[in-house]
Amino acid sequence: MSAPESRPAPEPRSPLAGHLKPGRHGAAGSRPLVLREVPATIVELAARRGRAAELAAAVRGALALDLPPPGRGAAAAGATALWIQPDTWLVVAPRGTEGALAAHLKGVAGAAGSVVDQSHGKTLLHLAGADARAALGKGCRIDLDPAAFGPGRAAVTQMAQVGCVLYQHDDVPSFSLIVPSSYAIPFFDWLCHSAAEFGYEVP
Amino acid sequence: MHLITCPWCGPRDEAEFAYRGDATVARPAADAGIDAFYDYVYTRANPRGWHTEWWHHAAGCHQFVKVVRHTLTHAIAATGKPTDTLPVPAE
Ligand SMILES: [Zn+2]
Repeated sequence: MSAPESRPAPEPRSPLAGHLKPGRHGAAGSRPLVLREVPATIVELAARRGRAAELAAAVRGALALDLPPPGRGAAAAGATALWIQPDTWLVVAPRGTEGALAAHLKGVAGAAGSVVDQSHGKTLLHLAGADARAALGKGCRIDLDPAAFGPGRAAVTQMAQVGCVLYQHDDVPSFSLIVPSSYAIPFFDWLCHSAAEFGYEVP
Repeated sequence: MHLITCPWCGPRDEAEFAYRGDATVARPAADAGIDAFYDYVYTRANPRGWHTEWWHHAAGCHQFVKVVRHTLTHAIAATGKPTDTLPVPAE
């Protein structure tokens, strides 16, 4: 098989460019939430039928990343993997050269996995602060109580009627939220309304 | 909030799922004839009681979940993966 033809692709464009208003918003308080969009490369990685163990071993060897079980995420030095459906993960990394992570993952996976670059179709938001659970809770049907959902947990769900991949990083708590780019503006607006009673900062 | 336990995602709100019908019907053999296929596609028992059915976790992991649900009370006796055989309560 010949190498796929290389085509120049445009850099992913922030769906929130021009919409984010940096500064302090909402109620005045001593512990505002921090809400931002994070430039990211987002790649979907799926094991081919019966080859999940082979794919996991290849990814572990190349990225020192253990593909996580259902309901969890796993972070390594350069990337985070989030379980999204059986034998399928989103691999999230800081924005790099267009297509580079997808090409690298395809090289690692070989015939054991399929790779789709989602960097244009999805965007990554980050919400952190003591009241983050309460802000998300107004539109999220997942139980975010620390007893039920904590650091390392991931979930594919709907928030404010928008399909969303949720990942909790730590006990701050801080969350990653991956939403379709087409819905980023209404989702972000909902999140701003939801966070307003606590006060929030857009860096 | 009515919770359905997805075998992969855990308990989730019913709003994340799409109902996809009776999970007990089996596709007839290709040469079974038009009447067998008519029954397979259209004829349903519509029971008042326990019913084994498909729910699609459309807003979650996109998997089909088998659910034993009581059509009168909405109580759920068991959920599982599509290949699981789930016990159906007597009453
Ligand atoms: Zn699920």
